[in-house]
Amino acid sequence: MNPLYKWIGDFVHPPKEARLDLGRRAVLAAGLAGLGAKLLFGIDPQASKRSFNPALIRPPGALPEEEFLARCIRCGECMKVCPTNAIHPTSLEGGVEGVWTPILNMPVGYCDYECNLCSQVCPTHAIRQVDVPEKKKIKIGLAYIDKNRCLPWAYSKTCIVCEEQCPTPKKAIWFEEAEVLNIQGEKLTIKQPRVDPDLCIGCGICETKCPVKGQAAVRVTSVGETRNPENQILLSPGSFAEG
Amino acid sequence: MGKIDRRDFLTTGVLAGAGLGMGLLGSDSLRAVPAPSISIAHYKSSPTETDGIAEEARRLTRQAIEALGGMNRFVSKANIVWVKPDIGWDRRPEQAATTNPDVVATLVEMCYQAGAKKVLVSDNPCNPARLSFPRSGIQQAAEKAGAEVIFLDERKFRKMSINGKVLKEWEVYQDAVEADRLINVPIVKNHNLCLATMGMKNLMGVIGGPRNRLHQDLGGTLVDLAAFFKPRLVVLDAIRVLTANGPVGGNLADVKRKDTIVAGVDQVAVDALGATLLGYKPDSIGYIVQGNARGLGTINFNSLSPKQIEV
Amino acid sequence: MAKKKTSWIVWLRRLTQTGFFLLFCYLFLQTVYHPINKAGRGVTFFFNLDPLVALNSWLASHAFVGAMLLSLLTLAVTLICGRWFCGWVCPFGALHNFFTSLRSGRAKQKLEAGGYNQWQKAKYYGLVAFLVAALLGANVVGWLDPFSFFFRSLSTSIYPAINKGLVGLFTWIYNANPGVGPVRLTVVTEPIYGFLRKYFLAVEQPYYWGSMLIGVLFITTVVLNFFRARFWCRYVCPLGALLGVVGKNPLVRLKKNQEKCNSCRLCLVDCQGGATPDNPLEWKPSECFYCWNCESDCPAKAISFACELKLEKKHDEPLVQVDR
Repeated sequence: MNPLYKWIGDFVHPPKEARLDLGRRAVLAAGLAGLGAKLLFGIDPQASKRSFNPALIRPPGALPEEEFLARCIRCGECMKVCPTNAIHPTSLEGGVEGVWTPILNMPVGYCDYECNLCSQVCPTHAIRQVDVPEKKKIKIGLAYIDKNRCLPWAYSKTCIVCEEQCPTPKKAIWFEEAEVLNIQGEKLTIKQPRVDPDLCIGCGICETKCPVKGQAAVRVTSVGETRNPENQILLSPGSFAEG
Repeated sequence: MGKIDRRDFLTTGVLAGAGLGMGLLGSDSLRAVPAPSISIAHYKSSPTETDGIAEEARRLTRQAIEALGGMNRFVSKANIVWVKPDIGWDRRPEQAATTNPDVVATLVEMCYQAGAKKVLVSDNPCNPARLSFPRSGIQQAAEKAGAEVIFLDERKFRKMSINGKVLKEWEVYQDAVEADRLINVPIVKNHNLCLATMGMKNLMGVIGGPRNRLHQDLGGTLVDLAAFFKPRLVVLDAIRVLTANGPVGGNLADVKRKDTIVAGVDQVAVDALGATLLGYKPDSIGYIVQGNARGLGTINFNSLSPKQIEV
Repeated sequence: MAKKKTSWIVWLRRLTQTGFFLLFCYLFLQTVYHPINKAGRGVTFFFNLDPLVALNSWLASHAFVGAMLLSLLTLAVTLICGRWFCGWVCPFGALHNFFTSLRSGRAKQKLEAGGYNQWQKAKYYGLVAFLVAALLGANVVGWLDPFSFFFRSLSTSIYPAINKGLVGLFTWIYNANPGVGPVRLTVVTEPIYGFLRKYFLAVEQPYYWGSMLIGVLFITTVVLNFFRARFWCRYVCPLGALLGVVGKNPLVRLKKNQEKCNSCRLCLVDCQGGATPDNPLEWKPSECFYCWNCESDCPAKAISFACELKLEKKHDEPLVQVDR
């Protein structure tokens, strides 16, 4: 018999040494383990689409969560390339299924306005390729001011570092000029920051640069992210200033 | 004390228009004519193409410095010069968030022509340096002019005594202090806290530490830093200025052409002049008022008889 | 018996392993910002070669990145040469190979640690579980895919740790400034530090959540090589398992000249895959990395690898013409 045909035939009826000899039951058990894992992933509250982990801020360009998890191979290329050290592996923020997928960690780094490196490197396009102008229109979250910690709100001290750092062409942080009393009873005019939810893209530079240590006085959560129509608070989407 | 003496001396000299003038912070030779301490160079046209703006930047910078007596007044032979532009943000030159690269390059060239041994160009930016340095065009332009463009080395930040009114000590970049000369080259921008950021605010790029705390008293801290560093020369880039949403900007509609360069030795006066270019009154800016009050310089720049040149 | 000179094929294999390993490390270091706004995307080349990633991503998301067609090349060669990829290309495998070779100990101990073990089947069950989960939409093979595992460990744990160590060392020398009189150590160390800063060290010290766990797992897989040769490749690697399935009936097979063999079992000592090369009837192609160690080590030159399609005289079959 022609050796070539024999070789092809051996795939269908393998001779003894070519058999993997795995055992039908064991293979079935492994398959059931895979099925079991999938089912258990599916009962994580985040899979319900009603509960959103506010810390699950994905890089801009990330696909909607289900598709994202189906593509991300947890390779860490985005974590390596990010020039601000903003992207980190999750622990359980994305559920067990999402372990070691990329998440933004704003106290450590922020998403640079003019950068799209993570979307350039992703080998499976779980972070789809977006050019910089498109990326600037993607919201990955929304900042909120913690008035209990913010220097102008809580301590009548001048600050505004968050507004200074905000990169959007029309700044997403604006001011209320408020008259406050200091401890001596004197009147001061202090600029108190407010976030504009229409303009804020959730880049996180405000949180990274906020001088309040421990827990920044302005923080970003995932709400408002463009990729998830369920995770929203505004009635109508805002507009972005061209820049 | 010495500062006030020199300022008085210069003011007297210029006003009297008599006697031998001297460079404010020392010069190599006695001059027969008193040298001005502040100059404003304005370009007659406002070119739109890149080459035209580059040419404008080069000519304006040269003329502004020549009007002060030439770079030889500020840089001596074999000096190590630290040129400090604003490279703080990951922005393109036309967005006016960073200093015009050709202004920086021209200053570098002039330093070498004046006999400098080495010209260092650097900044401690707010956005990552690897991004802001090339995107601003400053890295390429400065390197082409022969400067050594440095990415700051974390190890070289040292706590130093500032002995200011607010700041007692702060982390400062060692090599910038150890350089023979410091030339401050900011770009004029709007800033929502202090209204305008120019020379004195630009000195925040030679320090480290928790800079985001300085905003609690910019008036006091910036004057402390300015008094500590005492740059030999301040060159304000006002070719493009950022009129709103500064100091980061981003919207080209906020960029206005002023086609001007201001050069001077009096940090307060130069900043006061710069403020007017943005339409602000100098006495509405805290660090200018405090700088004047503490004798760092004069808010009344007109008293220095600025040399005006049309190019 | 004097140790036989290492065969040239083994040297070639070591060369390609080193080459691919250095390439992977180089591409890793290149995965940074390049002016202006360009990412070094080179390491994606390895992911594109990886059929496990292609298969799982396609199963789970029904999407296919064009560049992943390169993985078909890997599969095609695997059909012919079995798990040559594990033996010659895989940089993670090369790392485990290296640490395996650091084992001291006599041949007898290596034999015990290197022979085939039933637990080597575990990676196939793992593969099945991953594939079933992917078929149902959960793509988690990235946890154990060798390139993902390796790159992720390097980027979030190992490289930051090495960076911290080196920067710490040079900072200490810079600050302490040791030396004798005018001769200071920094004269030597500063240029070295400048070179490292430019070509190797991170721009800024990176920090990552969860780096401890990832680092410990990585170090564990490396250390396990001292207990069982190429532990990861034999027992864990799902890519190895996939290639083992595809390559279970390769064209290039181990051949033994039974007359020459004296049962010294030297071929088993350095067998990387645990493929039991001493008995041709029990040689396991799906475990063989084609490292050629057995052929190189055999003092009697009894082992060889040959392509099935060559003209061969078989014991029980008449001579046949090969149709080319």
